[in-house]
Amino acid sequence: MAMLEVAHLNKSFGGLTATNDVSFDVAEGEIVSIIGPNGAGKSTVFNLITGVYRPDSGDIRFGGRSIVGMGTNRIVDLGIARTFQNLRLFTNLTVLENVLSAQHHALRTTWLSAVLRTPSYRRQERRMREIATEKLAFFGPRLMSFRLNQPVYVLSYANRRRTEMARAMATGAKLLLLDEPSAGMNPSETKEITQIIRRMRDEGGYTIVLVEHKMGLVGEISDRVIVLDYGQKIAEGSYRQVVDDPKVIEAYLGKKAAAERIEELEETGER
Amino acid sequence: MALHQTPTAFDDVDPRKRVRNVALTFVAIGLGVLVLMLLESIGSSKLTQSLALFAIWGVATVSLNLINGTLGILSLGHHGFMLIGGYTTGLLILDEAARARILTSARSMMTEESLAISVTSMLRSLGLDALTTPETLWVRFLIAIFLGGLMAAFAGLIVGIPSLRLRGDYLAIVTFGFGEIIRLSASTRLFAEYTNGALGFPGLTSEFGKSIWWTFGVLAFTVFVISKLKFSSYGRAMQAIREDEVAAQAMGINLAYHKVLGFVISAFFAGVAGGLWVSWLGGVRLDFFLFQLTFFFLVAISAGGTGSITGVLLGTALVVFVRQYGDPLEQTYTLQQWLAFAGGALVLMAALAVLFRSLRRLRPRFHWSAGVLAGAAVLAFVIAAIDPAFLEGTFRGFGMRAIFLSVLLIAIMVFRPEGMIGRNEFSWAMLLRERRSGPTDEERGQDAWLTNPVLNPRGTDVDPEAGPQKPTAPGRAAARELDADWDEGVDEASRDGTDGSRAPDDGPDDGPDDERRR
Repeated sequence: MAMLEVAHLNKSFGGLTATNDVSFDVAEGEIVSIIGPNGAGKSTVFNLITGVYRPDSGDIRFGGRSIVGMGTNRIVDLGIARTFQNLRLFTNLTVLENVLSAQHHALRTTWLSAVLRTPSYRRQERRMREIATEKLAFFGPRLMSFRLNQPVYVLSYANRRRTEMARAMATGAKLLLLDEPSAGMNPSETKEITQIIRRMRDEGGYTIVLVEHKMGLVGEISDRVIVLDYGQKIAEGSYRQVVDDPKVIEAYLGKKAAAERIEELEETGER
Repeated sequence: MALHQTPTAFDDVDPRKRVRNVALTFVAIGLGVLVLMLLESIGSSKLTQSLALFAIWGVATVSLNLINGTLGILSLGHHGFMLIGGYTTGLLILDEAARARILTSARSMMTEESLAISVTSMLRSLGLDALTTPETLWVRFLIAIFLGGLMAAFAGLIVGIPSLRLRGDYLAIVTFGFGEIIRLSASTRLFAEYTNGALGFPGLTSEFGKSIWWTFGVLAFTVFVISKLKFSSYGRAMQAIREDEVAAQAMGINLAYHKVLGFVISAFFAGVAGGLWVSWLGGVRLDFFLFQLTFFFLVAISAGGTGSITGVLLGTALVVFVRQYGDPLEQTYTLQQWLAFAGGALVLMAALAVLFRSLRRLRPRFHWSAGVLAGAAVLAFVIAAIDPAFLEGTFRGFGMRAIFLSVLLIAIMVFRPEGMIGRNEFSWAMLLRERRSGPTDEERGQDAWLTNPVLNPRGTDVDPEAGPQKPTAPGRAAARELDADWDEGVDEASRDGTDGSRAPDDGPDDGPDDERRR
């Protein structure tokens, strides 16, 4: 059974159809990329899954259970966490505090026992810190040691991206939605992020859905690629299948250029 | 304190230093108690009253700061919560003689039933007659302020609910409206039976509100609870909400619960502060709870440092000092004296400007504006000395205290917008200048080493499983050298008009990390 099932999802904002009958499944342990030109509805799909928007019609099932209409924080409890396209870190908190705050929803004590620092609270706080350092260790030593207690606003852009991914991992989610994890990163940082995403799946056991524009990254790690255009799913399959699909080429390059490109591909016999 | 530590060793406070910090805190508390004892024995009643006022307002500001600073919601209804706590406490501990006076008064709007409500009657009905003697008044007062706090907390629950749908300025207006609604409904016929309308009830004991021990005890309790809350997981969640509501919710934090929780806890302590406040004033009246009160608290919070408990207490001390000892400012003086004061103020401003510029390492240290201020001061002194005819007459500086406070606030906002202490709490490390402002050379070297393809050929593929890696001494030196080369490269690039971005294979950019914004 698929971990995440998205069925016939429709959402429009006034006259603009953001997603139109989008359906796809994500199996446990998969890395699925959602690509598409700007305004294709990729981020809307993320916002629908995480409960920021409510779909006009259609169903989203996670672990066999419908999550439509649930609050964002409730969906995190069930095990879906996300990162944001333009970083949304808690800038005045430290790296460690950022990652710890993502675990707060799993805390099983009342505020009063937190004030009184009961043994149960202390134990949970210690455990939270262990998990936080474990998740930060995914990114190598660069977020460890003295960086832990530095406020996020002193971090470089790449380190902020890493912190945000660690924060999403720390929520205890099984399914991570990464919204352009490599946005604004240079090629070698992109290479590093690619490796980290793969390790998150292989070592961390996470299932990953990502929205991405960098085709190199998408081609290298995706098990499956879903292409959206004008809110509709126009292709799905392996990276190779998808990039050679005439509809996808058309969506990215326009009709005329697509025809030329397809001709070229046919001449060289790649198709 | 670097890479060669186990990954879970997160706490960089050396245990010996922690013991020292705890010891220092106890010594400081002990010294504080001694100073208070000394002040109470030799000090005038005005001094003890002012200290008590500081503690009462401290309870209010620290609790307001939980909403304003930690939760990041501008709340303007704190006087309403204090009013509820104050009226409840007042009604519950009013003594028999005062009750009899109100009942027989012709203008009184209270009835026999409403006047029968008191802690004494509650205890009697519970059969606890031993607690109704005059010696045990303190027990009754404690019960009364606790109940007052609970009433205010209930109001906080009601005010907290709109905070779930509204944000920013709109929410501030709602909280302000609630505060005013509470105050105005207390004067209406609907509640006059319990509040005695606009008259209130005088004749409350000042035994507690003017006692240093009671007020500072309550303040210590408040600071304990709120600081423990702030530095717990719940406080982190509240601060996350302050930083970014959308992200906080996406990380599983229940916005509604934490906002209402903040409002309820804050309102509880506001109610307790209200109970002490009416005891300090010796009576309950509507005009003891004007919006002005909330305004003073906001001034204290902004001046001290929004979000910082110690900063807020410092700000409260400032506000209370100006309120209690600012009366020389409002006396009648001759114009000659006023001009001399103005000259003195200008000299002070010039001196502070020079001090500020040298502390911030701004050059030139003597800015021309300091010269202009000093020149104006000299002019003022000269005119005051020769005493021309237009300086005859006197002027009373009515309201000068509020003006002084406002000017002070403007100065703080201009030169230190984050408040006197800022967001951070006071700590022993801060006092002893132990806090580092950036990474050490060694850490810098490690960073450069990590991200440098020459020194770390495995590049970005850093394997945490392989355990901690430590650069060798020559490696570290080379790293620093390469770091320096890199810096030069950036300079050249920016001079060439390019944006100084690095070549693709240069490794991740961790450079800007070391720059502090402060």
